[in-house]
Amino acid sequence: MELRRPPDAQHAVAALGNGSLALAGGTDLVPLLRDGIVRADTLVHLADAVPRGIDGTRIGAGTTLAELEVDPQVPAALREACAQAASPQLRSMGTIGGNLRQATRCWYWRLRFPCWLHGGEVCHAKAGQHREHAIFGNERCASAHPSDPAAALLALGARVRTDRRELSVAELYRLPTDESRDVVVLAPDELVLELDVPLPDASVYLKAMDRKKWAFPLVGVAAARFGDRVAFGLAGVAPIPWAVDSADDLDRATPLPGTAYKVQIARALIARAFSAL
Amino acid sequence: MARLIRTEKEVEGRFTEQWIVVEEDALDQWPAGPRTVVGQPTRRVDGVERATGAAVYTADVQLPGMLHAAVLRSPHARARLVRLDLDAVRAAPGVRAVIGPDDLDVLTSEPCYEGHGVAAVAADSFEAARAALELAAPEWEVLEPLLDPEEAVRRESLLAEPRRHDRGDFDRGLAAADVVVQAEYRTQTLLHNPLETHQSVCHWEGDTLVLYTSTQNIWGVRDEVADAFGLPHDGVRVICRFMGGGFGAKNDAGDYTLVAAELARRTGRPVRCALTRREENVVSGNRNATIQRLTAAARSDGTLTALGGEFVSALGWDGWLGPTAGPMQMLYACANVRTVEYGAKLNLPPMAAFRAPGFVEGTFGLECLLDELAARLELDPLELRRRNHADSDGTDDRPYTSKNLMECYRRAETHWERRHEVRARSEGPWKRGVGMASQIWYGGGGPPSYAWIRVGSDGRAVVVTAMQDIGTGTRTAMAQIAAEELGVPLEHVRVEIGDSARGPYSVISGGSSTTPSMGPAVRSAAADVKRQILEIAAQRFHLEERVLDLKGGNVVSADGGSWSLEEVTGLLEDAQILGKGARGPNPTGMRVMTFGAQVAEVAVDVETGEVRVERVAAIHDVGRIVNPLGASSQVEGGIIQAIGHALSEERLDDPATGLVLTQTLDAYKVPTIADVPEIVTELVDVPDEHLTNLGSKGLGEPPIIPTAAAIANAIRDATGADVRSLPITREELLHALEAAREQERRGAAAPA
Ligand SMILES: Cc1cc2nc3c(=O)[nH]c(=O)nc-3n(C[C@H](O)[C@H](O)[C@H](O)COP(=O)(O)OP(=O)(O)OC[C@H]3O[C@@H](n4cnc5c(N)ncnc54)[C@H](O)[C@@H]3O)c2cc1C
Ligand code: SF4
Repeated sequence: MELRRPPDAQHAVAALGNGSLALAGGTDLVPLLRDGIVRADTLVHLADAVPRGIDGTRIGAGTTLAELEVDPQVPAALREACAQAASPQLRSMGTIGGNLRQATRCWYWRLRFPCWLHGGEVCHAKAGQHREHAIFGNERCASAHPSDPAAALLALGARVRTDRRELSVAELYRLPTDESRDVVVLAPDELVLELDVPLPDASVYLKAMDRKKWAFPLVGVAAARFGDRVAFGLAGVAPIPWAVDSADDLDRATPLPGTAYKVQIARALIARAFSAL
Repeated sequence: MARLIRTEKEVEGRFTEQWIVVEEDALDQWPAGPRTVVGQPTRRVDGVERATGAAVYTADVQLPGMLHAAVLRSPHARARLVRLDLDAVRAAPGVRAVIGPDDLDVLTSEPCYEGHGVAAVAADSFEAARAALELAAPEWEVLEPLLDPEEAVRRESLLAEPRRHDRGDFDRGLAAADVVVQAEYRTQTLLHNPLETHQSVCHWEGDTLVLYTSTQNIWGVRDEVADAFGLPHDGVRVICRFMGGGFGAKNDAGDYTLVAAELARRTGRPVRCALTRREENVVSGNRNATIQRLTAAARSDGTLTALGGEFVSALGWDGWLGPTAGPMQMLYACANVRTVEYGAKLNLPPMAAFRAPGFVEGTFGLECLLDELAARLELDPLELRRRNHADSDGTDDRPYTSKNLMECYRRAETHWERRHEVRARSEGPWKRGVGMASQIWYGGGGPPSYAWIRVGSDGRAVVVTAMQDIGTGTRTAMAQIAAEELGVPLEHVRVEIGDSARGPYSVISGGSSTTPSMGPAVRSAAADVKRQILEIAAQRFHLEERVLDLKGGNVVSADGGSWSLEEVTGLLEDAQILGKGARGPNPTGMRVMTFGAQVAEVAVDVETGEVRVERVAAIHDVGRIVNPLGASSQVEGGIIQAIGHALSEERLDDPATGLVLTQTLDAYKVPTIADVPEIVTELVDVPDEHLTNLGSKGLGEPPIIPTAAAIANAIRDATGADVRSLPITREELLHALEAAREQERRGAAAPA
């Protein structure tokens, strides 16, 4: 395997595709390579290709979660989402760009069961162990999106600038389909360069997990208030970060037998987040 | 004199009748209470070595020319091998030897659980070994696995005869009761996850197999491997100077050791075989899941009239049936007890001992049931336990060698009293409560176990014994005991352990048996040395031996004379005084057990199902405490592990295929430091006057036993919900709360 370190975004994009993958902190990609879930001939290191740092509302995709969680310019919901994600070691390595593109934690998928998301026919989780899985958008794949920051960015209405376009975080993600079993709309050689995160009047991130630290969200709820409008973004409830307008939206949830409890947790956390604003 | 006796030997509640040669233990116990060295809080003698990385664990062993092994393991719970291309593996770069199902007993072509070993390869690097195995391209005929323990019991797929215990008249006991409670409890499959995975490095030196391994049982591994290779027992030399944890899973040689030994034999080079974290979480053993259908019956004053239980243990493909019914049979005085235990044989990875196997699971069920009974009787749970205190072992009426459980309860009182104040701190969705549970377990150790001590002309002592320190600090405890008996400072004692070629036989580090077995042997070896020194001193200084003693590194006489130890030992020049000690027998006709009680305080968020353990007070009675600092760290470790058992840890298996889904530490959730509550440790510290020259029992296991039940009982105290299944995840708790609300509704709707 070859490791390249192009000097800028343009070279990096040119080097991507055809068996080469973008490498940022490597906290998700390296284990996936080691486990043979993804394969690559070339790794394209993004250290010089993607901006890093925070400037007002603009956040470089190469900024680490550790940097985000302590910067006072960053809205509370995003700071708190980063601070409650993973472990200090992982947050020091992991970048926000990589975090948005991290793969599902579904144990069947990680153990290479030939499931629907891997291109197969069935979702093993639905008939099997799925306590960590989805309550929305789970018709095909019941995986739960693992990113805390993505839920915060969704609630904050953040925009994403790539090497070729600008789109909202809401547009970045889409449920996988039979035709394309990917959860983002990005092209294989498309790089996330920067985020633009509007400043809300108030925001918060609440997270339910299996232990106090170092666990993916069972349910994460981000809430952001702009004037009299409050937006919510949820982690751990659907194959992609999931936007809801209020707790009433949970009436439309389609939980599996083993995930019904998440509806109750989400309801409680949405109410708490709302009253915290 | 050496005495041959036929005796009952106990390890982790497993009893065997066997011949044992014992030597009498003629020493009187030291008076109760802290001594000069023994009983003083003492930092680990090897703490600096461990902290700086100087300590060499098996994982650190690097031998010249060492090869690395990888094992091809079954990806199916039950299958038959149709095709396997070992030639392709053999031809891969860096490969030095390959073995398959026909070459070693632990490799099979008909795997019966995921991870069952099929083939193995030794190569220049671990990566090369793994890459070579990719070429084996196995083809399988996949067979239907048996995964449901209840189904296994119905089909009589069992690893042992059902174990029945029936005393008194259970049905009469039920009939005599004013209140009967019945409930089903479930405990989950748990994984040990020691920091150092299971591993061995094997190296043949001529006809001798030198074997570095991460083990709790140097002598057991020696014998097992020697028998497997047809060698005389001392043809295998087992070395384990430091080990990174085992919790019961490292009592046997394991397939990795046999694989490494065979590949080393074939290549003539040292071979390391180390489990990866994933292999560790699949094949290195587990605490088996249980289903417990329990009954408790009592009169209105709380007197138990009957206890009954049906216990199903999901053992996996191999293993043994732990004493899950033990607590029900022994913890309380009850004349009428009926239990039956089934050990289901399933297409799941084999169980292994795990810190108080059986009793951890059984105590969860029994101690939750007792609180449900207390609630029905409207009796204080602590008082209910007091009223049913057992003065002797209910299974055979043997008296206990010592039992200070009432004293534990007395000391628990101050922690228990806090419940009013704790409940009052409930706020909004956060409900607070306090729960308790009692503990009983073995832990008396036994013979045989031996130690040698040599003292040189500089007056410094070396304790030599081929035991292992699993990480509990036994090395330090042995140094303290030798220093105390010899009257020398701790710094003047070295402890050389961990090598079967360099020291006498020692007990397994399991069943809380190391200190109570090895401690008395070390003390008697030290006493042997002391006797010789005093004999020599008496002759040198023309005094009577009985007026002499060893104190503070000096030989002192009753009339005030004092000579430094070196003045006596210096006579030896480069020779040494050699002492030998053996563990004496356990008292006959008596039962040695450890006891305790724990009180847990929890906060429960009834809207999101979160449980926070805020404080655990642990009071245990394990005889004399050799090292209070080491003891409190054992208690803390036990409680932290128990919190994982109670709240977050669970091996999840795919119900269709029987494959383990939680193979990594992000999926299998051990507690983090943030999950650790305030832990208050109190030790009763009264020597067991019937047990050895030391009066100490073991403490490795007791602290993990009652915690989960105490937490569940605290949750009931806080919320009124009965949690009967581990782990108490958010969904488990939310279900229990819903069930409690449902019951209340029905209760309210029922006609008066
Ligand atoms: C044990 C563990 C626990 C964790 N817990 C949490 C948690 O609780 N909450 C949470 O939110 N996350 C959690 N994570 C995920 C972690 O935050 C991410 O792995 C990390 O943020 C990824 O960043 P990275 O820079 O290391 O990405 P990499 O591993 O380098 O890359 C990940 C993916 O993103 C792609 N990529 C990287 N940068 C870009 C870019 N600029 N443009 C386009 N594609 C890009 C890569 O090609 C790759 O596909 C956990 C991870 C682990 C291993
Ligand atoms: S939830 Fe998605 S990733 Fe998991 S098994 Fe189902 S299809 Fe595969």
